[in-house]
Amino acid sequence: MRAGRDVLRWSLLGVAVAVLAVFLAAQRQSVTVSYGRSPSSATLSDEGSAGELSDATVPSVAEMTALVAADPVVRLPGAVAHWDEARVRAAIDGADTRILVAPPGLDEAERRRVKDVQNATIRIVGTEVSGDPYVAAPDDLPGWRAQFATGDVTGQVLALLAGLRKQPSPPDRDDLRWREPAAAELAPVTDALRATGRYVGPGATLPRLPQEAAREAFPGGAWFVVLPAQPYGRALPAYGPALHRLAPERPVVVMYGDWIEYHGPGAADFAEVAGASFYAQYGGRLSRYAYPQLNVLGAYLARVTDVRYAGLFDRPLPYRPFDPLRVALPALPWLFAGCVAGFVVLSIRTVRGAGPGRPGEVGPAGAPARLAGLSALAVELSLLTDARSDPALVRGVARLRAARSALDDGLPDRHVRGLLADAAAELDQVARDVRMPGYRPDVYLRGTLS
Amino acid sequence: MTLSVLPWLGGGVVALAAGFAAALLPRRRARAENRRVAWSSARAAIHDAGVSRDAARTPVPEADRLLARAELLAAARGGADAAREAAEHARRADEMWRRGR
Repeated sequence: MRAGRDVLRWSLLGVAVAVLAVFLAAQRQSVTVSYGRSPSSATLSDEGSAGELSDATVPSVAEMTALVAADPVVRLPGAVAHWDEARVRAAIDGADTRILVAPPGLDEAERRRVKDVQNATIRIVGTEVSGDPYVAAPDDLPGWRAQFATGDVTGQVLALLAGLRKQPSPPDRDDLRWREPAAAELAPVTDALRATGRYVGPGATLPRLPQEAAREAFPGGAWFVVLPAQPYGRALPAYGPALHRLAPERPVVVMYGDWIEYHGPGAADFAEVAGASFYAQYGGRLSRYAYPQLNVLGAYLARVTDVRYAGLFDRPLPYRPFDPLRVALPALPWLFAGCVAGFVVLSIRTVRGAGPGRPGEVGPAGAPARLAGLSALAVELSLLTDARSDPALVRGVARLRAARSALDDGLPDRHVRGLLADAAAELDQVARDVRMPGYRPDVYLRGTLS
Repeated sequence: MTLSVLPWLGGGVVALAAGFAAALLPRRRARAENRRVAWSSARAAIHDAGVSRDAARTPVPEADRLLARAELLAAARGGADAAREAAEHARRADEMWRRGR
């Protein structure tokens, strides 16, 4: 019983320590943030690793300076940016404002050369519009759409001009026009989509689909329409809505140059989130560099996967394996507290249990009964003693008194019994000395106590 | 942060305190009891020696000295070791008086 309680007590302490160890081990903190363990991995990474540098190059600083000095608007070979000439001219309003337009995909040294052309007020690399000390970039989906689908930088140029003259920016205007694709345009697209699930328009640079990213983003399959960047100033064929009408249940991803649109189920919920977060993060890189469409599409699909795994918009979460630690973590403090409480209670009981011995058992064999018997015997013997046996009697009586006070003090039974045994031996000696065998303690006590 | 750490810290401290108390209290109690038992025996032995001295016919100076030493120890009320030493002295004095009788 006692041993069992001790085992329980120590095992409770062991469990408490184990729980504490588990709790501490679970406190590891990590800086990796993952959207519900999204498997996506594609990103538009550092310069030079994703084919974003084109073959385009720029002349020397001196040559460019001379070109800019000769002409207020200089378009270097490969330049893609366009703007609404009438509005920009109105904004310039006759001032000496010179614009240098360079192609996208320049490396750092070439960009620095463009930056070093001092007499250019506005420098445009790809579709990145800058002019000391400003960089103008769109901040909403229509702005990004105009920039990446058609190379339209009108809004940025106007904003930059306003900024240079410390005037308020003009309101954004969405000049992009759409047109319904003609039946003859739509037919080859639908044929290709029905056959292979993708259509790559002439001029587009998509050698293959990013298969894994596409499967993660759209597990049920999707249609991909990939077109090159559209000419500025002309209406865009709206393939997305047309295809959506054709197959309402099928996700449709339409790509115009670097601009990607989603049409299909759930578009109202997440197309805007995916697009805005994607272009807000990568818009700067996309405008400066000439990424292959394959990489842009891969990164966009990774973002769609992230949004899907974030569990937003009531999308069913992907299956997460049962993790006992994650389930048990909230209960651990209670478990620990319970173990500690049990340990404390059992410790208190242990201390109490080992406390002052309970009074010796009362009965024929108990120390108090024996003390009483021996005291009576001492009284009887005291009548018979002489000078020779007196000391033994006195010693016996003293032992009896010591036993009595030990009993009163609650000293251990063993000690009391030892004192009583000493007293009995002395009294035995007395009885033998006075030749009264009937008064020997063994005999006397057996007679009185039985 | 602090609030969630508090139960663990408090629990650990309480468990530690309980463990120490459970280990130390019985030991202290046993020591105190041991001491009282030893003094109980010692006082009985000193009393015995005193009785033997009164009953002795010839004085034994060595025994007197031992008993005085034992009584001195008892008056100083030391620990269990002092009690055992006093009991030993008293017992030897008791034996000397009984033999000298």
